[in-house]
Amino acid sequence: MALRRDTYRLFENVVGPENISDEPAVLRSYMYQPFGSKEGVWAEISPEAVILPATTEEVVAIAKICNRYGIVFKPMSTGWGLHNLPGVEGAVSLDLRRMNRILEIDEKNMYAVVEPHVICMQLQVEAMKRGLNCHIIGAGSNTSVLASATSVVGYGPDGLSMGFSGRNLLGVEWVLPTGDVLKLGSPGAGSGWFCGDGPGPSLRGIIRGWEGAWGGLGVFTKCAVKLFHWNGPPELEMKRTPPNYVLKEPIKNMKVALFSFPTIEKLAEAALQLGEAEIGWFVSRLSPSFVGLQMASGANYVATWQTGMLQEMLKYSFLFVIFANSEGEFDYQQKVLAQVLGDTGGQISPVSESREMQELTATAVIKVDEVTRSCFRTTGGFNTSFGAMDTVDLAMSQIKAGRVLKDKYIRRGVIMDDGGDNSATLVFDQGHMAYTEMLLMYDHHDHDSAEGAYQYLTESNQAMLDQKLGTPIFQVSQVGQGKHGMFGSACYNYDKWLRRIKRQFDPNNACDPTAYSSPEE
Amino acid sequence: MILELKDYLDDMKRCARCSLCKWPPLAQMKSWRFSNNCPSIARYNFHTYSGGGRMALGLALAEGRLDTITDELLNIVYRCTACGACDSSCKYNAELEVLWPIYSTRAHLAGMGYFLPEHSMIIDSLRKEDNTLMKPKADRGKWAEGLGVKDLSKGEKAEVVYHAGCLYCYDPELSAIARDTVLLLKQAGVDVGIRGSQETCCGSTAFQLGFQGEFIKFAESNIDDWNAAGVARVVTSCACGFGIMKSVYPLLGRQMKFEVLHITQYLDELLKQGKLRFSRSFPARVTYHDPCNLGRKSETYVPWKGTEKKVLGQFILREPEKAVSRGWNGVYEPPRDIIRSVPGIQFVEMERIMEYSWCCGAGSGVKQTMNDLALWTASERIAEAKSVGGEAIVTACAWCEQNLKEAVRQTGGNLMVYDIVELVRQAL
Repeated sequence: MALRRDTYRLFENVVGPENISDEPAVLRSYMYQPFGSKEGVWAEISPEAVILPATTEEVVAIAKICNRYGIVFKPMSTGWGLHNLPGVEGAVSLDLRRMNRILEIDEKNMYAVVEPHVICMQLQVEAMKRGLNCHIIGAGSNTSVLASATSVVGYGPDGLSMGFSGRNLLGVEWVLPTGDVLKLGSPGAGSGWFCGDGPGPSLRGIIRGWEGAWGGLGVFTKCAVKLFHWNGPPELEMKRTPPNYVLKEPIKNMKVALFSFPTIEKLAEAALQLGEAEIGWFVSRLSPSFVGLQMASGANYVATWQTGMLQEMLKYSFLFVIFANSEGEFDYQQKVLAQVLGDTGGQISPVSESREMQELTATAVIKVDEVTRSCFRTTGGFNTSFGAMDTVDLAMSQIKAGRVLKDKYIRRGVIMDDGGDNSATLVFDQGHMAYTEMLLMYDHHDHDSAEGAYQYLTESNQAMLDQKLGTPIFQVSQVGQGKHGMFGSACYNYDKWLRRIKRQFDPNNACDPTAYSSPEE
Repeated sequence: MILELKDYLDDMKRCARCSLCKWPPLAQMKSWRFSNNCPSIARYNFHTYSGGGRMALGLALAEGRLDTITDELLNIVYRCTACGACDSSCKYNAELEVLWPIYSTRAHLAGMGYFLPEHSMIIDSLRKEDNTLMKPKADRGKWAEGLGVKDLSKGEKAEVVYHAGCLYCYDPELSAIARDTVLLLKQAGVDVGIRGSQETCCGSTAFQLGFQGEFIKFAESNIDDWNAAGVARVVTSCACGFGIMKSVYPLLGRQMKFEVLHITQYLDELLKQGKLRFSRSFPARVTYHDPCNLGRKSETYVPWKGTEKKVLGQFILREPEKAVSRGWNGVYEPPRDIIRSVPGIQFVEMERIMEYSWCCGAGSGVKQTMNDLALWTASERIAEAKSVGGEAIVTACAWCEQNLKEAVRQTGGNLMVYDIVELVRQAL
């Protein structure tokens, strides 16, 4: 169902002819979405047009046209993943790329106000010039700051010291699915952007809750996020060590190391103790495979893997980073760390002691720029599983369940043998919460592999339900509308609340519900 | 043929759609203002204009997913300077080819008879006059009249042939630089000759527009002529020529019995050998613009030919291992060394340099066919030069110089634009 020309012209009048397209080549390029596609790279449904609004006013006008003429719209920021595309026929995509400004960095009050297409790395480099830093999600610094804060999950390993995107969210400007504008938190009372919960309405739970509405509840056109103290240099100079760029100079009072433990229980205990001690800047499970892929590629990686050395050394390990504000604090944190390691049988892994790994890892934990390398390079296809946010113990239970399940598919040869336990991330908010994902790599162009990965993901969802492991990242939303129902009855019927929210805020169902929740029971 | 879309199916199918192609390598990003690396996506914004979007477009064409070739599709394909920044940024994390699928998409379309009307004129000129500028072939050697330089096309012999390049031959302002270059080489005692009216285009524009038949004809002819002339070195001022001679000529399978040098490499060598000495000061705060073809695009491209096998379940292992050109081995230090050695100069780097340098906007026929994109791109570079306090921007490519100068004139700024040879001449 092509857009009627008169409707197209209405949108064109809003954004100008150069900022809307229904050219088949343009639409086809947007349909290329390997991440989230069941097999191959192409989405099944094409948007009817792609529109590039530049201002809140333009977004409002587009939303109102959509409501008036019964057209579904779906917004995207950086557009990485199938969930960014409309899942229904006849819809238009709103690519928010032109809304890309950092509107304000309030140094004193430590927050930034950004538009949807500001990526984490853009904000980080500007924040560092002012002695500040921002939380970067595990997917990498090429992702939108606003998207993870307002709309999609938001966990990252620097969350040990820099929180979670959902918590870091302060004031919000929200274009509702109807086209009305609502300002949340302090901007709602005309009091600046410093707070997400008042003065002014606090709808944090409505707009995102735990995992966000995935672009299914209107368009967040501006938001403020917390910034954090940065004790490093204002600009990080890099040097080339092919294929990497790494820090030219070590950062003072920063210590990066991989620690391994005799059992996963001991690892969990260490993570908890470190959190309780409120030390550390970054922590993440890092699998032997993930580490290996940072160090080598191709035949070198395979040869290293086949020695079994990495698996032996890093079976139960995490990467832990101390970044202190003074030498005294650095010494203190080192002492606490030593005590925790002593209590839990943890040992520093020699892998992380080489200068190359120190440089590489220190850069990666700050810049979070290595995800494509470790996740997509080996097989082309990547997905993730489990990922409920809860306690350290629950995170460990997810790892155990994921390992058993993945082993089955590894033995079948349909996913990459990464040792099974390829879990990433760990505790955050100084240990008060924990989170882990189980990564998997597969060949999305190989039918058996793609089918196997899909079966694994389906089975992992079921395992979460059966074993009471919480609701999984991605799979609930990515598989499409109606799937929330699988978990709703086990989780306080939250799916019914999502439907009610959708009905109340989007009476015409104008904003594509596919990745969020259908308004219908 | 060397540009076959089917050869890049695996690359196009394995793009992660992560958008790393739209930014400088993330660890090298220094500010919000200069955080773009690709002029095309930065100017036109639709994903289609990015490296990843172009890969998707190429894949759709190869798989027959686009029914008709529209004028707009052609505009999208050619609104790109093929500067290779996307390719360099992608390879920071992956081993995918991005630039060569872009070239191959053009070759695929040109092979079916689809190109822009302006390209017909460029290619006709190339066929008839041996240059892309619609200038008479007979006038090509006029720039060197009165220099007393050997003309190898008349049977004279020299150790070095100086290949000026199309723009340096025909543009009056740039011809002066070619003349200066010959004078510098002679002053340094180099046994240098030219090919006068017999010099021909390097074929770079034809290659980048997808006219690979024309490219191969000119490339093979140049290799044969230089081999026949018995020169040890081909030295060129043309960065596009240098890039194509270094990166693509070797793929043609013809023995190249000569070494190819860009003039910046040769001058740097002569300065370091003491054969040229600076005596005058150039008191200015100067920055340097890396031409794409002298930098990231001058690495010899090694197409991967081999087999893929699955190990560790689904891990795709290439045998033999793929050689990855990340653009890190371009010509970066020689021009910088020259500039730094000029007395009185305060050299300052811009944010986007070397393999992640911002393109000037002129490449790949864009200057001749879409001057608005060329000038917008150049104006961004000028803003970057000014942001670091540059009073002058030095470059080493005729297209870059011409485009940057026009953009300065248009924006009304006072930034000076110099070819590096001009700088050397003034400082001697």
